Amino acid sequence: MTNDCGCDKARAELEEYLRNEICRTDAADIRAHLETCEGCQSELHVGIVLTQTVQRACKETAPEELRDQLLARLRTLQSH
Amino acid sequence: MSTPTPDPRALFEEQAIPFLDQLYGAALRMTRNPSDAQDLVQETFVKAYAAFGQFEQGTNLKAWLYRILTNTYINLYRKKQRDPYQGSTSDMEDWQLGTAESVTASLSSRSAEAEAIDHLPDSDVKEALQSIPEDFRLAVYLADVEGFSYQEIADIMKTPVGTVMSRLHRGRRLLRGLLTDYARERGLEATAAPARGSKK
Repeated sequence: MTNDCGCDKARAELEEYLRNEICRTDAADIRAHLETCEGCQSELHVGIVLTQTVQRACKETAPEELRDQLLARLRTLQSH
Repeated sequence: MSTPTPDPRALFEEQAIPFLDQLYGAALRMTRNPSDAQDLVQETFVKAYAAFGQFEQGTNLKAWLYRILTNTYINLYRKKQRDPYQGSTSDMEDWQLGTAESVTASLSSRSAEAEAIDHLPDSDVKEALQSIPEDFRLAVYLADVEGFSYQEIADIMKTPVGTVMSRLHRGRRLLRGLLTDYARERGLEATAAPARGSKK
């Protein structure tokens, strides 16, 4: 049995909901609310897009020279 | 006769090097420039190699490496910077942080906001991240890019979970506000004109 938790609680805990950081009961209540509230759904959507945008922008590849220098340094350390 | 225990450090290269790209990405967000980021990553790996005997196989190596990275960053770089704002973010009040939360925003403006954020170039997103206070930036990076749990972030940043949550909330709110501003500047029309009833 789940209870729609209402907008206030949903908004306050949306970030935790997104990151899977709330207990199952609370998550179920928020999910129940989201099913009926378009406003909170759109807020959740902005949150998801924000996370994906940051993830996409922060993808980096270490420069080859760093990799080479690092491996060389580790091998020097290993031989001692 | 017992066989000598193999040196655990022999496993280091195989296990730790796969995290190089990720650690470099985090180091870039911390130091904000590629040359310092490279130095920081090298320092981190050398320290991790030396301490690898203390790493308990089977536990979370990624989190362990991030702890060393963060420590090294704080010891090496934060001391050098004399920026009074670094690390003193808890003194900032909510009103100073502004509010990006659009409680009254209409549905269509919120979906426009999401679309505008989605279309921003990576350079804008990085610039926005660079400009929010360091503690917030790091918390957001660790949670939303690296996917660490609140407890893991608390261990990495050596702060209580409650502080992690507050940094995340404030960081995300600042970030969202900045990205929405950038989108507007770029004409990506993030939010429909404020609903002040100026129908012409």
